[in-house]
Amino acid sequence: MGNLRSASERPMGVSVSRIPATPIATEFDTTTPSDVEDVPAAGRRLASRWLGRYVGLVIASITVAGSVLLWAVVSAYSPSVDQAAQSTTLFGRWHVAYDLQAPALTIALGAVGLGLLLAAGVAAVERLVLDSSRRSTDARAKLLAPKLVMAETRGVFGGPVSVTVIIPAHNEAGSIGATLDSLRAQEPAPERVIVIADNCTDTTEAIAREHGAEVFVTVDNTKKKAGALNQALRGLLDGLGDNDVVMCMDADTNLDDGFLAAGIQRFTSDRALMAIGGLFYGEEGHGLLGQLQRNEYVRYSREIKRRRGRVFVLTGTASMFRSRALRTVAESRGSLLPGINGDVYDTAALTEDNELTLAIKSLGGLMASPDGCRVVTELMPTWRNLWTQRLRWQRGALENLGAYGPPPAMLRYWAQQLGIGYSVIALSSFWLLILVTALATDGWVWFPFWLGVGSVFIVDRVVSAWRGGWRARLLAALMVPELIYDMYLDVVYVKGIFDITFARRATWGHVAHATARAPATTTDQMEAMS
Amino acid sequence: MSGGQVLAGLVLPEAIMHTQWFAVLSTFVAVNTVLYLTLAIIKILPKAYLSDWIDQRNRRSETRSIYPEPDGGPPA
Repeated sequence: MGNLRSASERPMGVSVSRIPATPIATEFDTTTPSDVEDVPAAGRRLASRWLGRYVGLVIASITVAGSVLLWAVVSAYSPSVDQAAQSTTLFGRWHVAYDLQAPALTIALGAVGLGLLLAAGVAAVERLVLDSSRRSTDARAKLLAPKLVMAETRGVFGGPVSVTVIIPAHNEAGSIGATLDSLRAQEPAPERVIVIADNCTDTTEAIAREHGAEVFVTVDNTKKKAGALNQALRGLLDGLGDNDVVMCMDADTNLDDGFLAAGIQRFTSDRALMAIGGLFYGEEGHGLLGQLQRNEYVRYSREIKRRRGRVFVLTGTASMFRSRALRTVAESRGSLLPGINGDVYDTAALTEDNELTLAIKSLGGLMASPDGCRVVTELMPTWRNLWTQRLRWQRGALENLGAYGPPPAMLRYWAQQLGIGYSVIALSSFWLLILVTALATDGWVWFPFWLGVGSVFIVDRVVSAWRGGWRARLLAALMVPELIYDMYLDVVYVKGIFDITFARRATWGHVAHATARAPATTTDQMEAMS
Repeated sequence: MSGGQVLAGLVLPEAIMHTQWFAVLSTFVAVNTVLYLTLAIIKILPKAYLSDWIDQRNRRSETRSIYPEPDGGPPA
C-alpha cells in the first residue's frame, strides 16, 4: 500500500495524513531511448536527478526557514516575561495555583489567520490544479485528461465494464485460497482472476488453480512485485478495450462486500474515470499499537470522504484501473514519466503503487476512492515493524517528489511533506516547553489557556476517529498516547530525510504472521526475498 | 497540555520561566498551537463546498456514461 496520510497539518492533536506515500524510483531511467524524447524532458530528468538526492534537504530547509521566520516575528513582539502564577481557593477548600499566560490577542488572531490562509491556500491550489486538469486539452502532456478521453470515446460503446483481477503472489500458499474465495463472493464476481506466481517455491500455483484462477508464471523476474505485474500486464493490456478494468490486489487482501459493484458503477457512469483506489481500514488485533494505527486509518478514510473521494494514493492493496490508463502510463515512461518505456509499474520504485498514482495524476487522469470500495489492510504488530514500514513509505514519498519535481499536479504532495515537516518542529517545541515547565515548576499550576486549547484538540481527535468505535474514541480522548505515536512517526520522518540525503539504502522488513490468513503485503514479501 | 497542568519539579531553576527565551518559546508554541487549533476546528466542522451553493443543473453538456446518448451526443 502507499502511505497513509496526506494532510498538511497536525501536531497537538490534529490528525495528519501520512498515508498516501509510497516509495518510488529516485531517478528517471536514462538508459532507455524514447521516440518522444525532447529537450524539456531531458532538462526535467536532470533537475529530477538533483531533486532525487536533495528533496529531503529542500523540504527540511523550507520548514526550518518557516520556523525561524515565525520565531523572529514572535521575538519582535517580545512577550512579557514577568508573568507569575496566581492562586485562589475554590469552594473554600482547594488551593489552586493557576497561570493566565496566553498569547496576546493580536498574536492569537494572527495565528488563526495564518491557519485559515494555509488551509484555504492548499485547498485553492488543489482545486485549481484539478480544474486545470479537467479542462486540459493538452494532447502532448495530459494524455489522460478527461476532455481528451471523452472526445476519443464519444459516441462509441466499448461494451459493459468488465473486471480482470491480477494478484501478484510470492509464496502465498497460506492466504491465496481465502483471497480467491472472497473474490468469488463479490457480486458481481470478476470476469477473470489471474494469479501471478512470482518465483514461488510453495504450492501457491496449485492452490490458485484449484480455486479456479488462471495462473501466470513470471519468467526470470528480478524486479520484485512491480516486475511481476509488468510481465503479466504486458500481454494482458493488448486484449483489453476501453471499458475493461484491471484490478490489482494483494494475495492476502479481503475486499469488503460491494467493492466491485461500487467500482463498476463508477466506471460505468464516468468514462473519463481512470482509476479507483480502495479505502483501507486496519485489521483487528495488535493491542494498543494496533488501535493507534486503526485510528490513523479511520481518520484517513474520513478525510477522503470529506474530500468527496478525491484520492491521495491508489493503494496496491486493492485498486482498479481503466486499461487506457495503464496503457498510456506504459507508453509515457521514459519520456513524460520516470521509468522504462513499456513498463506499467516503475521497477525502480520502492513503493510502486504511489508512483503509479503520481503517474496517472501527472497525465491528468481522474481518480477516486468511493466510499463503497473498502478493503482491510494489515497492521504492524510491533513498533519495530512500524518503523520499517513507515520509513519505507516516507522514503518513497520523498523519492516520488524527487522524481516528479514541482509541477502543479504534485503541489498537494509537496504541501503534505512540508506540512508534516513543520509539524515535527511544532510538536518538538511543544514537548520542549512541557519538559522545561515541568522541570522548573514547583507544584501544580493550571493553565486555563492550555486547558481550553487541549479540550478542543480532544474534541477534534474524538470526532475524527468516531467511526472507529468506542475503543478508537477512548484512545483519542486520552490524547497523550496519540501524541506519542505522532512523535514516533515524526522521528521516522526525520530519519527518512536523513537517509535520502545521505543516500542510505532503504531496508524492508517482512512481518511474519503466525496464522496462514494473516496479511503480509506481497510487496514486503517480495522485497524481503530479494 | 492535555490536562492543562504541570507536574511539580525542581530540576531546573524556576527563574528559567522568567527568561526572555522561555517567553519566546512559550509564545512560539502558543502560536503554533492556535494555528493547529484553527485547522482542527476546520476539520471538526462539516466541509462546505462552494459548488453546493451554485445551481449546477445542466452543467454537464453531455453524458459521461459509457453508454452513448441516444442521439449520439454533441459533435466532437
